Amino acid sequence: MKQYFSTIWIFCGVLTKRYFRDPVALFFTLVFPVIFLLIFGAMSRSNSVSFNVVLTNHSETAFATQFVDQIKENKVFKVKDVKSFDEAEEKMGRGELDSIIELPQSFGQPDASGVSSGKVVVYYQESKPDTGQTVASVMQRVLDGINAELVPNADPLSVEQKATKTTDLTRFDYTVAGIVGFSLMSLAIFGMANGFPSDKKSGALRRLRATPLRASQLILATAIEYLFIGLLTVIVMFAVATLLFDFNMRGSYLTLTIFTLIGTFSLFGFGMAIGGWAKNENQSAPLSNLVAFPMMFLTGVFFPVYLMPQWLQNISHFLPLTPIIDGIRMIITENASLFTLGPQLLIIGAWTVIIYSVAFKVFRWE
Amino acid sequence: MTDGILFRSMTDIILKVEKLTKTYGDKEVVKGISFEVKKGETFGILGPNGAGKTTTLEMIEALRPIDGGTVTLDGIIVSDNPQAVKEIIGIQLQSSAFYDRLTLVEQLQMFASFYGSKINAMELLKEVELTEKAKSRVEQMSGGQKQRFSIASALVNKPKVLFLDEPTTGLDPQARRHLWDLIRNIKKQGITVILTTHYLEEAEMLCDRVAIMDDGKIIALDSPKNLIKDLLKRGFKKAQHVEQASLEDVFIDLTGKGLREA
Repeated sequence: MKQYFSTIWIFCGVLTKRYFRDPVALFFTLVFPVIFLLIFGAMSRSNSVSFNVVLTNHSETAFATQFVDQIKENKVFKVKDVKSFDEAEEKMGRGELDSIIELPQSFGQPDASGVSSGKVVVYYQESKPDTGQTVASVMQRVLDGINAELVPNADPLSVEQKATKTTDLTRFDYTVAGIVGFSLMSLAIFGMANGFPSDKKSGALRRLRATPLRASQLILATAIEYLFIGLLTVIVMFAVATLLFDFNMRGSYLTLTIFTLIGTFSLFGFGMAIGGWAKNENQSAPLSNLVAFPMMFLTGVFFPVYLMPQWLQNISHFLPLTPIIDGIRMIITENASLFTLGPQLLIIGAWTVIIYSVAFKVFRWE
Repeated sequence: MTDGILFRSMTDIILKVEKLTKTYGDKEVVKGISFEVKKGETFGILGPNGAGKTTTLEMIEALRPIDGGTVTLDGIIVSDNPQAVKEIIGIQLQSSAFYDRLTLVEQLQMFASFYGSKINAMELLKEVELTEKAKSRVEQMSGGQKQRFSIASALVNKPKVLFLDEPTTGLDPQARRHLWDLIRNIKKQGITVILTTHYLEEAEMLCDRVAIMDDGKIIALDSPKNLIKDLLKRGFKKAQHVEQASLEDVFIDLTGKGLREA
């Protein structure tokens, strides 16, 4: 028994050494997740909603000019340039623009009592009334602001707006768990599932088979090897997250490390089972996709789970990747302990037992 | 050790094959063969392609399930305890490879770990004359070097029986002679060697006894000398008078025995 594990340990060391001498593999393990992080990080960075609008100003009053400047400064609006109203309308039809704002010639002309007046016309897609309403209401607020400056008699009744920040967490803090989970799954299912078939093809596994080495030792040594690599990937990702995005970690890094290792070990069982069973890459590639795609789309990496129908949400909870992403997210945003993560660990544990039993069973040397 | 001591006792049988069969689909590729190999002997299995040599070898090596018959290796029944058999044999396979991106020393240490043993990798490399290549990787070596390394990897567990499947196929005459010397040295250590080959002069030079296989059966089994004697007794005469030297002798004479390796 002792020899069984010492062989795994030594073998694992050799395999890890071998991995770090492969520049292509290293690129995909370390650089790819970072690229992924950068893309998704940038996407989830902006906290506020914004609208792409076109401003058409037909008025020459000072009031209109002031209004246009304020709109341009307002973060809610991204003012685009177009040549004609027709072009703007066409762009709106394609969804490139959310709204067209038109100031008529009479806008801002003083009325009989000397107060500037006028109407802003907000065009929007008929199919998107929400957008039209939101743009119009923001517009109203801008107008109210200018009105208040010009006519400094305070409204008797007003609503005071105050943003609340109870958690100090950004959207990125929630997204990062999904990105990490997805990267680990890619490493497990795409990276690992191809390793065994290519070693079968070269004949390297055939040579190992001629020794007392057992399939389970090969599988466990490879799993531990990938655990090191997975851990390294996670460290790099969190380092980048901390340096480039204002990533807030509320939980303990020790808990995160332990939980991630447990989760990663279970995910690697899938790569093992696929790669161990497949005779060549032609068999492993489609099978990898078959396993990876449902997890990609049903575990909340790309689409929020709450958008799915209830029955699909129920399935999602029990997919192997979901508890891992949920757990990482809970550690980051809620300072969850391993004890609180009991339900997640239970599902992960069940999958680990199932998938490694399968992996040991279906493994083929050649 | 000399051959005289090794062959002192005829009961010193290390490998016993009885009525061994193997069937693929409805084709019987090994048809109930039986033979014995003595401890310390170099035993050759000869035969044309498809005769069943490799299949036979792989069944003995516990790499392929045995369909019928029994193989007993050093007292262990192979089909009952394949793991125990793997512990005491060394195998050089015909079509296998080594992991890339590992040095020879790393490879040997890895192989040793599979047997739970620690080895002096440099000593083993010295035995196969690859000391200078210790830090090289397998993918950087020539055919002959690879073959020698392959034998080194099969010796990490100090095996009782060493199996060599066509060890010299594809090698140039110099490398082949070099490998012959290596095999002779291994024999001198008392290790039983079982090899297959297509080169009959190789079998004649290395093997104490040979089995000639054809179509899944053993059609002759004796020492090379006796087999030749038998043939001559039956009145065989070569069509042409044999020259005292062959073209290979000329080749070696002109190009020398030195190994051609980078």
